[in-house]
Amino acid sequence: MPRVYNWQLGRQMDYRFETGTQKRQFAAVFNINRCIACQTCTMACKSTWTFSPGQELMWWNNVETKPFGGYPHHWDTKLLALQEAADPGGQVWDARAPTRAAPYGTFVGKTIFETADGVEKQATGYLPTDDEWKSPNLFEDTATRFSPTGATLPEHSGWFFYLQRICNHCTFPACVAACPRNAAYKREEDGIVLIDQQRCRGYRKCVEACPYKKAMYRPTTRTSEKCIGCYPRVEGTDPLTESIPMETRCMTACIGKIRLQGLVNVQPDGQWAEDRQNPLYYLVHVERVALPLYPQFGTQPNVYYIPPRWVPRDYLHQMFGPGADDAIARYTNPSRELLAVLQLFRATQKIIFSYRIEPGPKTAEFTIDGQKREIYNDTVLGFDSKGNEIVRITVNEPFYERPDRFAMNTI
Amino acid sequence: MTMHVRSRKLLVACLVLLTAAVLQFTGVNPAASQTVLLVAYESPRDPGLDPTSAAWDAVRAVEVPLAAQRGSYAAGGGSVATVRLKALHYGGSLYIRVEWTDRTENASALRAEDFTDAVALEFPSRTAATVPSVCMGQPDAGVNIWYWRADVDAGNVALAAAYPNMQVDGYPFEDDTFLTARGAANPVAADRPVQTLTSRLFGYLNTSPVQDAAGKGTRTESGWAVVFSRTFRSTGPDHADFAPGARTDLAVAVWDGANRERDGMKSVSQFATLQVAAASLPGGGGIDGRFIALAAILLVGLSGIGIGLAIYGAAERSRER
Repeated sequence: MPRVYNWQLGRQMDYRFETGTQKRQFAAVFNINRCIACQTCTMACKSTWTFSPGQELMWWNNVETKPFGGYPHHWDTKLLALQEAADPGGQVWDARAPTRAAPYGTFVGKTIFETADGVEKQATGYLPTDDEWKSPNLFEDTATRFSPTGATLPEHSGWFFYLQRICNHCTFPACVAACPRNAAYKREEDGIVLIDQQRCRGYRKCVEACPYKKAMYRPTTRTSEKCIGCYPRVEGTDPLTESIPMETRCMTACIGKIRLQGLVNVQPDGQWAEDRQNPLYYLVHVERVALPLYPQFGTQPNVYYIPPRWVPRDYLHQMFGPGADDAIARYTNPSRELLAVLQLFRATQKIIFSYRIEPGPKTAEFTIDGQKREIYNDTVLGFDSKGNEIVRITVNEPFYERPDRFAMNTI
Repeated sequence: MTMHVRSRKLLVACLVLLTAAVLQFTGVNPAASQTVLLVAYESPRDPGLDPTSAAWDAVRAVEVPLAAQRGSYAAGGGSVATVRLKALHYGGSLYIRVEWTDRTENASALRAEDFTDAVALEFPSRTAATVPSVCMGQPDAGVNIWYWRADVDAGNVALAAAYPNMQVDGYPFEDDTFLTARGAANPVAADRPVQTLTSRLFGYLNTSPVQDAAGKGTRTESGWAVVFSRTFRSTGPDHADFAPGARTDLAVAVWDGANRERDGMKSVSQFATLQVAAASLPGGGGIDGRFIALAAILLVGLSGIGIGLAIYGAAERSRER
């Protein structure tokens, strides 16, 4: 079996296919701290792709309340339990000082590929029952406990948070590894993972293998379907933007402005090529403020999360790996550049391929937790695939004073 | 003493010959690795696709052993030990009836965790340069597969069959474009109980552009009986062709839905030999000619042993005197 380098694990691992042909990778950053679980993303996806017979229980995008919620129910804890049973006590990280090739240290446990035998299964997983696919928002807003005296940072005593989930378009997809007939495949041009509806025979090996359970069975066609990363928009073939790549429906519909999606350049070994001014590269590799979801599964997922600040750290370590503490520290006390880049979230429908910052004046200075903070009203500019400016936004929200004629609030 | 040894040898030889004759004429195959012969005689009447048709009553079943698929990913299966095959031809079409024991009826794959019972026949393609690998063929020798699934045959194709109380406000579009796999002409999504497939290596199962195999299954007391049918000659690329007087190979695979079997997780046979006989079904309606021959052999054999024993006994007695 080929050896591939998984930078999220900081080590090589076994995977069914070689890397080396992929040019770009679909990636996104979701800021959990800002999500209000309005489900606008969910409905944007639903009304675009999954409104037909047989797709009733299919939610390519969903927002679930952690720690109890899950679609399908308990998808993550069930797999964590299977992995723990396969490698008791061994699923741990060797957290070390971050490097670009190993930003979170090294995972010394076993991936889902390494706990499978390769003969009956390519990846450890399970097939959820139809009951588990129902009630996609079960345990909505359910906290771990009631806090009668209120909750304070850094860790709330009673807590929950919203987890926004789409297909991770993994660099080493378990669905692709598990498909015995290569109906599931990963595109070279953007890394979007698709299931060929002409080849799929409904074996549901992908449903079983995907650790995030984002491949779903459709009973009316007896095949499996999955999130297609709105590929016509990402390709720029949607007539709306005239050949300029555009973000997906779930991203652009986000009213909480928690999402930023784009494409990053990929090296032959599967790592991200250095691209300092790509906002995704900056957030993931330079600031390391956004982290992969359950990196220990080993698929190198490509949706990155800014972890919620108020959640107990052991839970976040389990979900996002050892990088969670640093990510929260950087997000809580952002650098001047990070504060500017965070303004790019949902400032345009088009994919931002690069950004530039024009310095602005200092507009505030204060102290938080004994640390001096300064806010600069910098302007951040975003550029599309052709290098054209598509967004220009300042750190301080523009302030307008109404003229007198609106004094009576006659809008 | 010489007489004693010779008589015993004679007795053993008689028994061996008798056993061989019985095995030959009853079709019982004591060694699983030995090739099974399935003969398709011409039927005096149209057997049709109904597995309960009386046309099958006069046909002797051939037992084919199955084993779990362990050769390649995704390995598994093995829950069905054997199938009983019958074959006929009529009016230029081949009919093959497969029957197997499966106590659990799995004729719906509507829920995400449900898998259908299924069976498939595999033949070498007409273009095969050699006998193909029984494991889905090989690049220079393809195979032609007829695949029957219980769920579609039973008509369990709409969601209401699994969810009788479901309510939906409405669907904006209901044409095949939005039944994506069906819109892409994937035969899995077509409500057709038998799919015609070809393959030239495991992992490379393809849908044939010519879907010409037909079939129908029925639930028996202990399992399933399925009849497949197709004309001798097919226009499909990489399909098998048949002709009276010609032999080809035939393998069987069975999937048990209760065991979540699908794909390579199945019970498979080795290649058996299928002979399409130019002759009509012997003794169609009357006493089977083979039965008469068997009775004659048994009579002659037993008489021979009796005579041998009598001679031996007489000799012994005369020696004692």
